[in-house]
Amino acid sequence: MPECENPLWPCAMTGAAACLAGFDGITVIIHGSSGCYYYPTTLLHAPLHGTFILENEVIFGSEARLHEVIGEVQGTGKRIAVVTTCVPAILGEDIRSMLSSHDVILVDSPGFSGDFGKGYHAALSVLAPETDPSVAGINIDGVSLFDPFYRGNMREVIRLLARAGVPVGLILCRDRFDRVRHAAPFTIGTDGDLASGVGTFLGSTLGFEALSETFSRVGDALECADVEPVLADIKHEEERVVQACDKYLRRFDPPSVAIFSSFSYAAFAARTLDRYLDADILCIGSRNGKKEDLPYPVETATGLSDVQRLIGNCTPDLVIGSSFERSVKGEATFIGITPPLRGSVRLASHPLAGTEGVLFLIEAVLNACMDRQQSPS
Amino acid sequence: MPSNPSRLNSCRFEGCTLTGALTVTTSVRDSVTVVHGPAGCAHHNFSLLHSTGLDHDCITVPHILSSGLLDTEIIFGGEKALGQAIESAVSRRPKSVFVLSTCIAETIGDDVTAVCGSGWDVPVIPIPTAGFLGGSFQAGVNNALTTIAGMAQPCRNDGGINIIGEKNLEYEVEQNYAEVVRLLSLLGLPVNLRFIHNITTAEIMGVGKASLNILRDEGVAGVGERLFRQCGTPFIPAFPTGLLGTIAFLDRIADACGVQSRAAVLEEMALQESMLDDFSDIAGSCIAVDHLMNGCHEYSFIHDVNEALHIRVKPEGTRVPLPESAPVGTAGLRRMLHRWRRAIHA
Repeated sequence: MPECENPLWPCAMTGAAACLAGFDGITVIIHGSSGCYYYPTTLLHAPLHGTFILENEVIFGSEARLHEVIGEVQGTGKRIAVVTTCVPAILGEDIRSMLSSHDVILVDSPGFSGDFGKGYHAALSVLAPETDPSVAGINIDGVSLFDPFYRGNMREVIRLLARAGVPVGLILCRDRFDRVRHAAPFTIGTDGDLASGVGTFLGSTLGFEALSETFSRVGDALECADVEPVLADIKHEEERVVQACDKYLRRFDPPSVAIFSSFSYAAFAARTLDRYLDADILCIGSRNGKKEDLPYPVETATGLSDVQRLIGNCTPDLVIGSSFERSVKGEATFIGITPPLRGSVRLASHPLAGTEGVLFLIEAVLNACMDRQQSPS
Repeated sequence: MPSNPSRLNSCRFEGCTLTGALTVTTSVRDSVTVVHGPAGCAHHNFSLLHSTGLDHDCITVPHILSSGLLDTEIIFGGEKALGQAIESAVSRRPKSVFVLSTCIAETIGDDVTAVCGSGWDVPVIPIPTAGFLGGSFQAGVNNALTTIAGMAQPCRNDGGINIIGEKNLEYEVEQNYAEVVRLLSLLGLPVNLRFIHNITTAEIMGVGKASLNILRDEGVAGVGERLFRQCGTPFIPAFPTGLLGTIAFLDRIADACGVQSRAAVLEEMALQESMLDDFSDIAGSCIAVDHLMNGCHEYSFIHDVNEALHIRVKPEGTRVPLPESAPVGTAGLRRMLHRWRRAIHA
């Protein structure tokens, strides 16, 4: 891997912790130093535990320490999950064998093994969710504690499923651990980059078009579903979006936009702004590579210098990304859809998924663009 | 502090050497810091520093370059990747490059010092860090400060004061600095250099110009001693805390710099009296403090304030917030008392 200036995306260990910590009923132990523990703890706002290993354990082995911490946290009725960090992963210890006397989930996901998504999927594959034909409903996947929009997405999709009279199956990854082996046979997604592969995938909930197709499939798949209220809502909300964008375009030119996010969110933002606002999508800087062809220029942008170069090359008037992009956006206006979103107070649970997600995105973009147009130069 | 620490051994929570050193090296504006390890280590720290910068209304971003170690380098060695990263850093024409190692690079045995000594066009300075294998967060801070102090050149004393080892991640770092500057101004003394907080490589050379170093706290005592040996500059071991501590601080500075303190002390005492008057409505209150803090030397300032305001500490009292570090000077106490009043009147 070439060197990377100011890397913008967390490591595999953080991804694994995000997946596991989303389950009530799992106690997560980060097997590593306090430095490695600190970051996922502050980022995920979840109660994680750590072995906080010291040099001593690197020299003489970490088994005793691992048993010590497991001894401290066990007895709560929760399943213990151990996530390895870089140094324990290369010490040559057989951690699986060390843990054989405990009923423990082990996820070998050191930082050097890859990025956030790799660790998230590694943990998910160890959890091995299974469908249960006796469970009715639809699973929701793509939910991650790392995502500032996860709570909003979850609530929005639950609301839409309720509108269609469909029970919610397993939410991956924000659910009870004892439900992991009882997923419903069908799944819809809030973030394609974190797709679980559990059950038959009926589609995405990002954007009106995808949402419409997805709920049509839900209607076909489940006899109990009455998706007409949802499809009617989509039409109604889409009309509101069209009107708001049309009103904006009567006075202003469409924004030229640079988007930086994980691929799934970036593609959603690009398609939505292109479709409703005739926006010029100058570039997409994907944190995790290109997953499918898009009619926009897409590059992988994992470091701040990539972001600065792309912004410098295309001079957008709207930058969409994280607080890292906000720091280098220059004169452009900014809205945040990508973690981390620091430096501002965020209390409400905004979604990007569902009808409310599109409304949130368009509302944020129009307000930001109008503020920019109307601010004295 | 972690929210769910293992209770067995508190020395395990002392953080990462790398993070400590980065808080120092990234505060040298015209430098680039190379982190030799997986990209995740650099990201974690970049994110932390960036977030802290935003808290401080600072929109500039630290210059951190990761050597981006992956499985291949872990197996076959990462010195080549480090060399490429340094080359890339040097090509950006910084005035200095600091190279920080990580625990994984240390474990696989990469010779960071040798790669740094390969004849680069700008100073490439290895700083002893190795994540948790290098010691604690504070060890990282101290290693960075003492290594960078070694870059300083002998120079003539110009009577200013250096501020040494500020906690750059501290939420109130600017407020604490402003309070020390205010107290120094009462004595007519200027600041020479914030070593190291938002300075340039060239400014580092002038660290020896000061007649006195004021250390942020006793955690950086080793840095004070190093600068005393190197430049002959005496030091005050910590920022002022507590009512009496702030007055004593003025006296100590005045003594060390050979100036009169009487007028400054009287002015500060009047300010403290006025501040205590402002909080007369909470005088006589009953508060509770976290038992972990009670009896801790650093929190002795509480007794000072409690005595002045006749505040009693009892387990059944109103739980009041305590800052993570003792509040600095009179202004720090004022901010703390505002939070206490909010809690007492809630």
